[in-house]
Order: sequence, then C-alpha cells, then structure tokens
Amino acid sequence: MDKPEFYQRLAEILDVEEVKPDNVLKDFDVWDSLAILSVLAMADAKYGVSVKAEEIRSVVTAEDLARLVEAKRK
Amino acid sequence: MNFTFRRKRISGVLVVVPANERSFAEEMRNFNFPESRSLKLKEVMGYDKRRVVEPGVCVSDLAVFGLEQLFKQNLLKREEIDALLLVTQTADHFMPATSSLIQGRLHLKQDMLCLDINQACAGFVIGLMQAFMLLEQESVKKVVLVNADVLSRKASPKDRNIYPLIGDGASITIVERDVADTVIHASVKMDGSRASALTIPAGGLRLPSSPETARLEDVGDNNLRAKDHVFMDGSAIFNFVQTEVPPLIKDLLARAGVSSEAVDYFLCHQPNRFMLEKLADKMEVPYARMPNNVVEHFGNSGSVTIPTVMAYNLRERLLREQFQVCLAGFGGGLAWSAMLLRLGKLAFNQITEYK
Repeated sequence: MDKPEFYQRLAEILDVEEVKPDNVLKDFDVWDSLAILSVLAMADAKYGVSVKAEEIRSVVTAEDLARLVEAKRK
Repeated sequence: MNFTFRRKRISGVLVVVPANERSFAEEMRNFNFPESRSLKLKEVMGYDKRRVVEPGVCVSDLAVFGLEQLFKQNLLKREEIDALLLVTQTADHFMPATSSLIQGRLHLKQDMLCLDINQACAGFVIGLMQAFMLLEQESVKKVVLVNADVLSRKASPKDRNIYPLIGDGASITIVERDVADTVIHASVKMDGSRASALTIPAGGLRLPSSPETARLEDVGDNNLRAKDHVFMDGSAIFNFVQTEVPPLIKDLLARAGVSSEAVDYFLCHQPNRFMLEKLADKMEVPYARMPNNVVEHFGNSGSVTIPTVMAYNLRERLLREQFQVCLAGFGGGLAWSAMLLRLGKLAFNQITEYK
C-alpha cells in the first residue's frame, strides 16, 4: 500500500494540508461520524476492504489507521 | 434467490408526500454540533429538505388519501382492485392488518385479497414480486401495491445519525398483466443474522414500550435515543450495501443477458446521496443514470423512494416513453433486492401532497 497516498487521502477527509503518521486522529477538529464514514468509504473504494466504524474508532494514530487498512488487504 | 415473471407490467404510479416540509439547516440547530460540520453533512449526504407527517398521521391516512385521489380522477376504479398489498414497517396497529383498514375505509369489494408485507427499503421490489405472483391467478386482473411508512414518528429528534434523513410518504403502484410477451427478472437475498443493524428495539412483544424504553440515553457523539426509537448502524449498512448490492445487480443482468450499458436507468432506493454515489462508482455507472436526489427533496421514506425516483425524475418521460430499468432496494432485514424490467407508457406518474 502506498502510505503517502493514504495519508493524502486522509488529509482531504480531515480538511487539512497534511497528515503525519503520528498524528492522533481524535485531535483533528473534524474527527466525527461523518469523517469515519468517509474513511470507510475511502477504504472500500480505493483499497477494496470493508472496515467497521468500531475498528476505526479503536485506533489512535493515522499510522494505526493505515495499518488497519493494510492488514485487511492481506 | 432468482425469480422470473412473464407478461406483467406497472401501469401507473402515484406518490403521496406530506405537505409538511422540514429544512435540514433549521433542524441542525437542535443538535450540539458545529455549523461547519452541518454544512459538510448537507453537502456530502445531500440532506436539505424532507417531508414528514404531522403528529398522529398514520400509514392508512396517506394510502386512503392517494387512492381516493385516483378514484376521483378516474385513474382507478374501486371495483377493479382484486388485491391490495401494503408494504410497511410502521403499521397503524399490531392487528388488524393495515391493508384491511384501508379496504374498509374505502368501501372496497369483499371479493379481494388484502395483505400486509413487513419489509423495509427492499420492499418495493418484494411488493412487485408478490403482485406478479397474484396476477398468475385468473381472478386477479389488477393489483394495487401500496408502499408507505411514517418512520419519522419513531426517530429520536436528538439522534443526528438518523433524524435528519427520514422522510414519510406513500406510493401507489398499479400492477397488471401485459399483452406483450415481456420477461421480468428479479433477485432477492436476505440475511436475518444482521437484523440488529436496523431496528426499533422496543414496542413489540419482545420488549414492550414502558417509561424505561421511552427514556433518552446518551448513545455517543452527543446523540440521544430511546429504545422506542429507530436505530441504524450507519457504517454497517454502508458496508453492507457496497459489498452486497453490486454483485446482486451484476448477476441479475448476466442472467438476463443485458449489459450494464443497456440499462437506461438504475432506480435505486435512496438512503442518501453519498451512498448512491459510492454505489454508482463501484458499479461504474454514471451518476446521470443512477439518480440520487430524492433525499435532498423528500428524505428517505423507505420502500417509497424508488417510486419517488420514478415520479420525481422521470415524470413526463415515463408517460410517453419506455425504458429498460434496473430497480434495487436494500436495508432492514437485512434484505436486498433487484429487478430488471421495461418501464414506461404509464397511465399516470405523479406526486401529490397530503394535507
């Protein structure tokens, strides 16, 4: 998985210029149910995986989220 | 599960929407939620205006209103209704069947069948299938399929996950035999093991309504909901739709020997704009051929949304022309359904307001 591309897609969802791997998701102003839905739609459309909202809520950083999506692809 | 029907057609569609219109922008002030995010929600999901009933209005009220209008306009005669099918999840009573109440209020003939079908957003196709099966009987020449729900009455005004998207309404679809040798393909799948993703937990006999079930609980994200209210696991439903619906439609088209490009319109259930855009992307169908604008004008009215797409987006065209359409519904049950048919040359195709 192209991680920089994933972080760029995440940045678009979170309405920021850039997302760094160690950024804590909850620290973003717009980290809410709509953002979570957007992440799972992105995971489905771009990476072909179904991620549950609870799984997304349970991870802490952007890198954790990237790992979650990557693990599902295998 | 696959079905094939012959020599059947839809001959008219009337949609009844409550006159009472709510605006998302105004309603969002009731929620503890930043305005910028509300605007984002409006932009992404397509929430804008929706129609909901006034307090006390029931499914049979909407159905009786619509049918009386058809009688008055001479588009339907009382005595030609051989079966009245009602698809609803928000019946007037546990008993009797709401279809019987409608029959009684309209003084329809005794020599007919009234049947309630408890189905949600997959219920338009399921209702059509029942109508087609009844039309195999010599004695049944005309079936009135009513889809109706007043789910706004069961939605928590403090639950942002569902309240701003629910619409109420009814549709009346006339189904009869076709003189042409038409073939209609349909497919339905069910998964009751995932039923809890879309449910009203209390109010039935398993958990009767009580002061306890009416109590609002904090369910996270500043949302409040009681067990008497409808609950939807939005992300589970999203994943369900993206995973299950494209293969259902793909298999249906393959069985019918029709390519996706040969389908003029994909008339899908309308949960919200976002989900339909993602579905169209996945199926590689241009948005113009899969309308997604019902929620922004009327809200999500369950199994009524597919007839609403027909009457709102293709009003004039369906009177004059005929199209190859693929219908698809998905939701509570969980259930998902699709149907491929020629649709058009309708005697009527319109929307009326219930006042």
